[in-house]
Amino acid sequence: MALLEVKNIIKNFINTKKILVLDNVSFDIDKNEFLAIVGPSGCGKSTLLRIIASLETPDSGVVLFHDKPLLATTPEITMVFQQFGLLPWKTVLENIELPLEMHGFKSKERREIATRFLKDVGLEDFKDICPHGLSGGMKQRVGIARALALEPEIMLMDEPFSSLDALTAETLRKEVLNIWTDKSNVTDNIIMVTHSIEEAVFMADRILVLSMRPSKILSDIKINIPRPREKYQRDRKLFDYVDEIKNLIIKDIQTSDHQNNLCH
Amino acid sequence: MNKSRRRYLISFVIGSALLTLLYFSIMNSIKNPEISNLPYYTFRSLLRISIAYFLSLAIGLTFGIGSAVNKKISAIITPTFDILQSIPILGYFPAVIVIILGIIPGIIGLEMASIFLLFTSMTWAIFFGVYDSARSIPINILDAAKSFGIKGFQFIRHVMIPAIMPAIISGSFLAWCDGWFFMIAAEYITYAGEVRSLPGLGSFLAKSAYVYNDVNLSATILILITSIVLFINYLIWHRLTDKVSGYAHMIKLGFFGLPHNEKHNKKRLTIQFKFRHRVVSKSKTRAYTTHQRLISIIIVAVIFFSVIFYIMKKIPTIDIVEKNILVPEISKLPVYAFFTLSRLSIAYIIALGIAIFMGVLAAEKKKFAMVFYPLYDIGQAVPILALFPILSVYVSHFVGGRLGLEVTAITMLVLDMIWYMFLNIVVAVKSIPEETREVSKIFGFKGIKRIKHIILPAIMPAIVTGSILAWGTGWNTVIFAEYMPHGNEVISIPGLGSFLSKEGYEEGNTILLIFILFVISSIVILMEKFIWKKLLAKTEKYEIEA
Repeated sequence: MALLEVKNIIKNFINTKKILVLDNVSFDIDKNEFLAIVGPSGCGKSTLLRIIASLETPDSGVVLFHDKPLLATTPEITMVFQQFGLLPWKTVLENIELPLEMHGFKSKERREIATRFLKDVGLEDFKDICPHGLSGGMKQRVGIARALALEPEIMLMDEPFSSLDALTAETLRKEVLNIWTDKSNVTDNIIMVTHSIEEAVFMADRILVLSMRPSKILSDIKINIPRPREKYQRDRKLFDYVDEIKNLIIKDIQTSDHQNNLCH
Repeated sequence: MNKSRRRYLISFVIGSALLTLLYFSIMNSIKNPEISNLPYYTFRSLLRISIAYFLSLAIGLTFGIGSAVNKKISAIITPTFDILQSIPILGYFPAVIVIILGIIPGIIGLEMASIFLLFTSMTWAIFFGVYDSARSIPINILDAAKSFGIKGFQFIRHVMIPAIMPAIISGSFLAWCDGWFFMIAAEYITYAGEVRSLPGLGSFLAKSAYVYNDVNLSATILILITSIVLFINYLIWHRLTDKVSGYAHMIKLGFFGLPHNEKHNKKRLTIQFKFRHRVVSKSKTRAYTTHQRLISIIIVAVIFFSVIFYIMKKIPTIDIVEKNILVPEISKLPVYAFFTLSRLSIAYIIALGIAIFMGVLAAEKKKFAMVFYPLYDIGQAVPILALFPILSVYVSHFVGGRLGLEVTAITMLVLDMIWYMFLNIVVAVKSIPEETREVSKIFGFKGIKRIKHIILPAIMPAIVTGSILAWGTGWNTVIFAEYMPHGNEVISIPGLGSFLSKEGYEEGNTILLIFILFVISSIVILMEKFIWKKLLAKTEKYEIEA
């Protein structure tokens, strides 16, 4: 039985005219899986993630979580944002505590939980600072700690590293993997949207490749590289996967360009 | 106790001591039968202005947040407030007095009318500030709040209120200054041919000039008012600005805003600018559907219709309207409009020239900044309308009669308009990117060429926004300055303002008054549509993010 089932999702954006973004997208997620979603820019991968987060509602189709339709945001599914989404007027610690407060944790308990997760991301010394004074990497660490503090079953990540510089991004990727594989961590599932194929291959168990708009699932690829992956960073296998996915996307872009040209 | 708090405490003590000393020396050195009432007058003015402020805050917040979260409310409220905002406050004051005194006669009614005037002068800045900032909360923060279940009251408390706090503070600061600006008009009122005054600093200032003929006392009171405004600006608004500085790029400043640190001062100016700029450019480029426009025009029309109905005690028929509007003087209306517009234009051009000169110098040369910044702080704190009696007496020593009043009016307009443009220009010059400056250096732009190709285009958007603000405040000043009650006689210069004051205060012809108001508002709105909006759109492309 799947943990999360995405069934026949259709989503239009209505601007001046109706644009079909997601065209009948379906997939399942099993327990203990790190799923990455990649695809050409503007293909609707973030929209798909936001539908799973209940930030947007699909025009048709349903997301089943533990076999029940997902109708509103739940503490069991949390999110890490590309632009961090931290409240600039709250300190680092308060930013992590606030969602806990919303879900009924008592003051002492949430202080304890927030401190623990802040330690996990190595920011315990910065707990009383406002986000304004932090670097991008530190802000995203707070974002991750906030998402994990509710101990959700699924953590969603929307381009979590693309606002960071290359070196910071690389360190943070490894940290996320370390936290995820850590036995004490209860969050077993991660769904990450990214435009970096290398990042997806390096981190995920499975990759969904979406097509150009209107997006369908182009391919569903299992990444058979053992963990920890650091040893395989320069491994042939990893690059083969990257090439395979890149070719898929490039071919898709070319054919849809071709079709567009025919239309004009 | 941390350093900033200690500095505030020290300046509070020193400031209070200086103010006490000022009171003590004024009360002991000036002979006037009312001088012993000075502290009481101060108290009354402060009370009046505070009541008006808290009213505006309550209304501005309620409607601002309401409009930001509810599209239906916003569709009605925003365009209506936008129209009301474009009507010069002093224009409808006579009608307000008639109505309120009709319901509650006597001193209480007068007090309420005065609070109402102050309230309308304050509430727009707060409303539009709150509305715009509540709508511009970054989408990632809204998403995060939603995804972590922060909603309802918790959303207002943890997200909405802190997000709009900087706008509330900046808006309050501007509203507070506007309140002082209108104080003299609100406390010293000519109504049905006689002067009615409320106890307060503004009326005392006017009385010393008009009744006691002691212009030095008026000037002293003006200095006192300015000192009080500066003191409160520093103690309350700048202190509050400090409190949100952690997340809103707001920064503290020294006493009088003297640059104890050049960078800090620039930032503070930037905040004021950004706020005003946002409120102005957003409201001037705000696009309404015809539908919304229509609703708002109907609402405003209904308001005025009921006003006329209330005053006339009968439904205004075409006959009555015709009879009231077609007074012999009406044929001069175009001439009056021409005179008033010329006055405003002359003052505007002078103010613009000086503001560009001062602004560019202050932004480029530290030495000038040391003089101009404090001058800006003080100049902005002087309630210009209160300058009227003093200035007119001083000017009458050189040129009397109507010409004297003409000179007074234009001088007041210049002093009123200049600071809005100065602030905008300084910030614009300051925010020319280092790269652009380097480009001009490397490619050898110098002197006039540099000003023409680099500086002027860069400050164009700021000049436009500054001009909109300057004209907005200018209309109120010109209405006030064209008509001077002096003892039992009145000196006036031809113009829309004096026409309006005469019909409103002397004749009590409400219909004609509303008609003149309609003419003024039409001019304001037409200028907005055909001049400012066009210029804003044109200069938008070289907008530099401040």
